[in-house]
Amino acid sequence: MNKQYDAIIIGAGVIGCPIAYELTKMGRKTLNVDKLADAGEGSTAASCAIVRAHYSTEDGVAIAYEGFKYWLEWEKYLGYVKDEKGLAKYMNTGSILLKSQGHDWRKVQKHYDAVGVRYEEWDLNKIKEMVPVYDLHEFWPVKRPEDPEFFNEPTRFLEGALFCPEGGYMSDPALSAHNIMRAAEAKGAEFIFNAEVVEIRSRDNQVVGITLKDGTQIDAPIVVNVAGPHSYKINQMAAGVFEECNIKTKALRHEVMYCPSPEGYDYLKDGYHTSDGDIGCYYRPEVGNMFLIGSEDPECDPQEWVDPDLFYAAQLPYGRGNELTMEQWRAQTYRCARRVTGMQIPNQPRGVCDLYDCSDDWIPIYDKSAMKGFYMAIGSSGNQYKNAPVAGLMMAELIDACEKGLDHDKTPFPFKLPHLGRTIDTGFFSRNREINYDSSFSVNG
Amino acid sequence: MNIFVCVKHVPDTAARIDVKARCRIDENITFIMNPYDENALEEAVRLKKVTPEATVIAVTVGGAAAQETLRAALAMGADEAVLLETRSPLDSIQTAGALAEAIRRRGPADIVFTGKAAIDSEGFQTMFRLAAHLGLPAASNVVSFGLNQERAVVTCEMEAGDREVLEMPLPCVIGAAKSLNQPSYPTLPAILKARKKEIHTTVLEALDLPAAAGHVACLDMTPVVDARTPVELKGTFEEIAMEIIHLLRREAKVLP
Repeated sequence: MNKQYDAIIIGAGVIGCPIAYELTKMGRKTLNVDKLADAGEGSTAASCAIVRAHYSTEDGVAIAYEGFKYWLEWEKYLGYVKDEKGLAKYMNTGSILLKSQGHDWRKVQKHYDAVGVRYEEWDLNKIKEMVPVYDLHEFWPVKRPEDPEFFNEPTRFLEGALFCPEGGYMSDPALSAHNIMRAAEAKGAEFIFNAEVVEIRSRDNQVVGITLKDGTQIDAPIVVNVAGPHSYKINQMAAGVFEECNIKTKALRHEVMYCPSPEGYDYLKDGYHTSDGDIGCYYRPEVGNMFLIGSEDPECDPQEWVDPDLFYAAQLPYGRGNELTMEQWRAQTYRCARRVTGMQIPNQPRGVCDLYDCSDDWIPIYDKSAMKGFYMAIGSSGNQYKNAPVAGLMMAELIDACEKGLDHDKTPFPFKLPHLGRTIDTGFFSRNREINYDSSFSVNG
Repeated sequence: MNIFVCVKHVPDTAARIDVKARCRIDENITFIMNPYDENALEEAVRLKKVTPEATVIAVTVGGAAAQETLRAALAMGADEAVLLETRSPLDSIQTAGALAEAIRRRGPADIVFTGKAAIDSEGFQTMFRLAAHLGLPAASNVVSFGLNQERAVVTCEMEAGDREVLEMPLPCVIGAAKSLNQPSYPTLPAILKARKKEIHTTVLEALDLPAAAGHVACLDMTPVVDARTPVELKGTFEEIAMEIIHLLRREAKVLP
């Protein structure tokens, strides 16, 4: 007889774990299945774990801001659980959004006001006072160093910044997922690792369970796809599910890099997370007094869509790990060095390369599917880490409502954000939405 | 004062090395300055800062692509760059002969810095052969360096934590270890400035250097696959710390 659960969650990353945590708290017996060795070891581990409130839509801002409450009160969220690996730490640096042509910051500010996000407006003098190493010239439009115009001397200045004092980043993204796993286990959730799903079994369009690579069958009337960059492969295993989605997901290769701070500047102690659309980068402090530099996907940068299995098996020229391309290393570090006067650029590229589970409009899918009992929390597109605890709760409530008979496709589940008290139309995250052209079509979401 | 720094253009430690033809790797990967040579260069630049009218000259032997590593050296503070260009793979005997010739031509050398080894071939020979060519004393695995009058005072790391302090007359050859210093990396303006500097290039074969009495030939090359078996240490912090000490002592043999 196969082992039985109320719900199987495929993936134990930073979104799979909170879904288990919340479903368990609601009384469901859950099992997370992950093909890697521990929680958060997949693309979660490579996340920059940034916690910021600016998104391109009002609901996006509201969900992100709701998430702040969890990160700011991390131990409370975890139910004061013990984790033998220790707890991840919220580094509450504050978050700077530079006003530039690269961000629709006026829209963001409007959303901040509507949602009630705490923020300050900084003029250039204030930014210079807070971050003396920033050169506040405007470098727009974003270019690559191969472009001769990249090195043109700028003549104009940025307009200022929106500063969000509650922003920051989590010290260790993999550990944060591990923490949530321990919290979920304390409520009765189970996890198995080194277990690869090869089949989603169904009968009469109702999911009945999964089959693992070693042939083990596990049964549950609810299966949730939270497989990160493998999400589209899992959807393809569930009969009719992939085909029925209007919005699809695929895996995008992405690099982040780190460079030593300018000499004499303690970025780790004194720095802020900064979103800098003017140079198409975001950056935050990293241990070792480094600038950790990510890309905001400017149009001039090529996108490399890959098969996640080939990527993780190192069968592509550049696989997962610390092997970066010299071209992208130069693009991101040179851009950042234009803003950060005196930033050091090592000869050897240093950083991390992994995959985004990217949706067509860079907005995630939190939804049911055409198959009864089969749900998905996918398409995080590099911008959902900060939303993970909220997404966990939203998915658990959405699943619960659907299982109790709600026709979520017809009448989307209204999700109430517990701290902000605001209700979100979860139809926003539907698999069957049209492409949302309000999106930034970038990691900014 | 002429401060020479011998640098090598090597594959990135993070790159996946594929053997293409016999004895040749697929060079379609990222190449970088040999990391130990970065420490050598850093020490040279620091010495220059406290020495009036010193010139730092970076020298390499290699293909045209090795210019990238010389540009990196210029960005890190070298004043001049010399490339002996060759398409042939060289052993440490030939490399040392070529570097010695380059140094003689630009010379005279007051001191020569280089990495204790190159991370690709790991022969640990070139610096000693270079010193022999130039008739100079040499010290390898150097973790501290200072000048006392006209003499170099260096600390060399020996096995299992032993250290040896040597004093040598100038000129001499210094083989830098990783812990000699923490290199400061160039800023963007320094990188851009370095792009405009001249690299003095000579085709190695045109120098007509006398053939060495012997040489090393590569017969075959196979990738070494390290079968890594990571083990997670479990227990209290104290237990984990004790286990690490035990491993460092028994397995790694770096603690007495």
